[in-house]
Amino acid sequence: MTVKVLILEDNPVARGFLGRVVRESFSDPIAITEAGDLETARRHIGLTGGARGLHGVDPFKLILVDLELPDGNGMELLAELPQYPATKIVTTLYSDDDHLFPALQCGADGYLLKEDRFEVLVEELQKIVRGQPPLSPAIARRLLTHFRPGGGSDANAPDGSFVHTSGFQTSRPVALEKVPDHERLTPRESEVLTYLSKGFTIKEIASLMGIKWFTVNDHIKSIYKKLNVSSRAEAAVLASKQGLV
Amino acid sequence: MADAAASDARRRPAPAQDTQPADSSFDAGALQLALAAPASLAVRWRPWLLLAAALTSALLCLAVMRLVAGLPAVPGVWVTGAQGTLVLAASPLDELQLHIGRGLVALRLPDGSELRADSGLQRRLSRWIVDDVERSNYVARADQLAMALAQPNLTLRMDDGSLVRVAPKPHGVGGLGPLFWVFMALAAALQWTAAAVLVARPQLRNALYALMALAQSGNLMLIAEQSVPGLGAPLAPNSSALWHMALDFVTAAAAVHAFALHPRRLAEARKVALLAWGLPIFLLALALGGQLPGLWWWTQGVTLGMGVLAVAVLTRSYRAEPHPFALVLRRFSLLAVASLALSTLVMADAAARAPGARDLAAVGALAWTLLFAALLLLVPFVARGRALTRELLLLATVGLVATTLTLLFVAVGVGEPSALVLSLVLTLALHAAARPWLLSGLVGGAPTGSERSFEQLYRAASEVRRQPSRLAEPLGRLLTELFDPRDLQQLTRPSSRARVLGDGAALLVPVQADGAPPTTLLLRYARQGRRLFTVDDARLAERIADQLRRAVAYDLAVERGRKEERQRIAQDLHDDIGARLLTLMYQAQTPEMEDYLRHTLLDLKTLTRGLAATEHRLSHAAVEWKRDVGQRLEAARLRLEWRFEFDQDLTLSVVQWSALTRVLRELVSNTIMHAKASRVEIVCNIERGALSLRVMDDGVGRAPQDWSHGLGLGGVRKRIKQLGGEVRWRENGAQGIICEAEVPDLMPRR
Repeated sequence: MTVKVLILEDNPVARGFLGRVVRESFSDPIAITEAGDLETARRHIGLTGGARGLHGVDPFKLILVDLELPDGNGMELLAELPQYPATKIVTTLYSDDDHLFPALQCGADGYLLKEDRFEVLVEELQKIVRGQPPLSPAIARRLLTHFRPGGGSDANAPDGSFVHTSGFQTSRPVALEKVPDHERLTPRESEVLTYLSKGFTIKEIASLMGIKWFTVNDHIKSIYKKLNVSSRAEAAVLASKQGLV
Repeated sequence: MADAAASDARRRPAPAQDTQPADSSFDAGALQLALAAPASLAVRWRPWLLLAAALTSALLCLAVMRLVAGLPAVPGVWVTGAQGTLVLAASPLDELQLHIGRGLVALRLPDGSELRADSGLQRRLSRWIVDDVERSNYVARADQLAMALAQPNLTLRMDDGSLVRVAPKPHGVGGLGPLFWVFMALAAALQWTAAAVLVARPQLRNALYALMALAQSGNLMLIAEQSVPGLGAPLAPNSSALWHMALDFVTAAAAVHAFALHPRRLAEARKVALLAWGLPIFLLALALGGQLPGLWWWTQGVTLGMGVLAVAVLTRSYRAEPHPFALVLRRFSLLAVASLALSTLVMADAAARAPGARDLAAVGALAWTLLFAALLLLVPFVARGRALTRELLLLATVGLVATTLTLLFVAVGVGEPSALVLSLVLTLALHAAARPWLLSGLVGGAPTGSERSFEQLYRAASEVRRQPSRLAEPLGRLLTELFDPRDLQQLTRPSSRARVLGDGAALLVPVQADGAPPTTLLLRYARQGRRLFTVDDARLAERIADQLRRAVAYDLAVERGRKEERQRIAQDLHDDIGARLLTLMYQAQTPEMEDYLRHTLLDLKTLTRGLAATEHRLSHAAVEWKRDVGQRLEAARLRLEWRFEFDQDLTLSVVQWSALTRVLRELVSNTIMHAKASRVEIVCNIERGALSLRVMDDGVGRAPQDWSHGLGLGGVRKRIKQLGGEVRWRENGAQGIICEAEVPDLMPRR
């Protein structure tokens, strides 16, 4: 079956390059849809079942989004598609956490730096799709602050008037700060994040913690999901405050 | 002797002395209590009390004026001629007009008796007549003159033999002469000051000051009476010498007593007071009983002795507690004692000479009284303002010295014009020599040169900018450098504005830091207790605190502007040039070209990140370097061994961060491209700011001294040099190359 891919990128040369990266990465037949701006991208997504992708016959499986676009920021599109059943990847020139962290919060499953070599990009893309998203030390630092009880955006999070997605709950007692359980990191996840923020590679972390490297990857995936949950929770709070829900 | 413990404490609560005599005169706790105290009854009555005092003083002056104006006299100006004759210089009476320039030989009374007339008949300050016999002669003749002038009319016998009949009449208010008014005005000023000081804070020390001021104002009124021109009868000639003596004794005793209490209460204050009051009272009793031969000598001796005692008491007081006010008082006292000693010498010398010199010497004594009155008037205002104090003091001192010198020269026989010139020259020289001492030493000069102040201010400002909430510390240091106080405290309470406390012993400066509760800095004893804080200092401290806040605000605004501008440039570079380089890279014809462009793009990104950020923590930078290097080596299938150690998490400046980032990247690129190595070892060690970096590979590179340093390695050399370090390459044992870089100092610059 053909895998549908959407590449949102305003630079035609880069679009072509990313297309080659995608084709190289997967053995399945690929159908690439290209968009040069947000509006075109929205139209294509609308044709394949809309933001929730529920009624679509054949939604995109993979979406690559550039951040700086002629009619806005790629993050806007990500924010519109929290439920869309595709792997969403940010492709950008920005490698600082000030740009990448918000993108992750908006629901990006990973990010690729466009200046990387072709082979590196192929490898990274495969990892992300397999569920091994990268996590840079700077982002790990930001995540630690984000999930610290009482720190970062957690302080504003209310206790659960929003939809629980799935079971990340731990059996630990509820802390004084009333942070919802599903937003907390498990001790293992915190440990992984701490090592990441100190610049250790996944293999190094695995040997330090005495676990398999793919277990480390599972923790990272879980952290990613919690990040999205927390951002979605914030969106829900915002919506209820504005009387939208 | 000198002056009193007056305080400039008007409108200000009392320090804690009275309640805690053994402790320092200033105590923060008591101060807080005092500041919190509501306006008392006394404060509300203060204006009325002052008004009453002023009225009383005016009435007193009026009474004295009426008394003196009512004394009978032969109107006219009489001067001392050759051989002590009395010569008529001018007269408002028609019958005397014809005889101007003639000498008066005798006054003939209606009963036919004659009173011989010479310059001895003129009014003199009997207090300053050295010889007892001469004084009693003077008193006797003054009594005769008074009796003569009490007659309805008398006849003047002139030296040309002519007889003039005149009727003595009162001086009248208009005939009192200008000097009379000057002295009366000074006397009134002293009375007012005494009243003001006493009303401001009714306590023993201030009462003693008031006593001194009143005694001296009495002296001045007596002198005013003596200064009235015309041939008239003096007021109470037989008792005025004793009056003067009593007033001087009271002043001296009160001064010594006051110094024992202020600025610090001495342990032996009672004994000192007993001595100060006992001796003069005993002598006065003797003098009243006529049992005291050499009255003048006793008066001078005791007064001088009391002056020395006063200086000793102040010295002891200053040793007990270095209150700068004690120092000021001691200097005033020394000035008064020294000038009194000089006057005494001149008088004693003149007494043995011609009567003319004697009269002139009396003027010297008068000048001393004026100086003393000026000092007395100054004391309450010492901490109020520096300019006024020093100018008045300079004026009084120079005036006194000039007068005394002239008299001295006349007394030793130099002609009057030459004496004037000589004394003028000497006075100017003395003035030039004494000016620094008087201006800076007495109450302390200007704190510091403005140039140095600016430098200190700038340093403090940059410090505050780093930590705006801790304004108090750099401000405290700044004020310490300016005023050099003995101690500096930070009180945890707000105050509205800078103020001087405890007669210039302490200075309160409010501190309003951003993001911290308002506090107050308390500085005590300027210049280690040798200088008084003045109101000018308080204003200066306030301005400095203000300037500091403004400098910081300005600095922050400039920094914010620069940061915004840098970020804008970084954004533009990154977005525009970055996108173009990326396009070029995708379209590169050869892998070398692609790598070159990728490298350029990475450099551009480092550059723009450096522009956008201001500084980087070493620990954060290190993990990013490791990740960057690790990813690139992994992509090139090279093994990385990474060791990064540091003893202190430095803050790297933008220059340091971007230089090190690019050096590492360049060295790693070089290895990937040329070395054909299988592993790279990077060891970095930062100890006390000194960096040593080694990048080792096991590749094919050899003989680094023969390499031609292209853009890449030349760049490494340049950047390490930019950081003040050195870099060299050598062979790594049998295989590969070691690059060693040393940077001796990465510590942040202040």
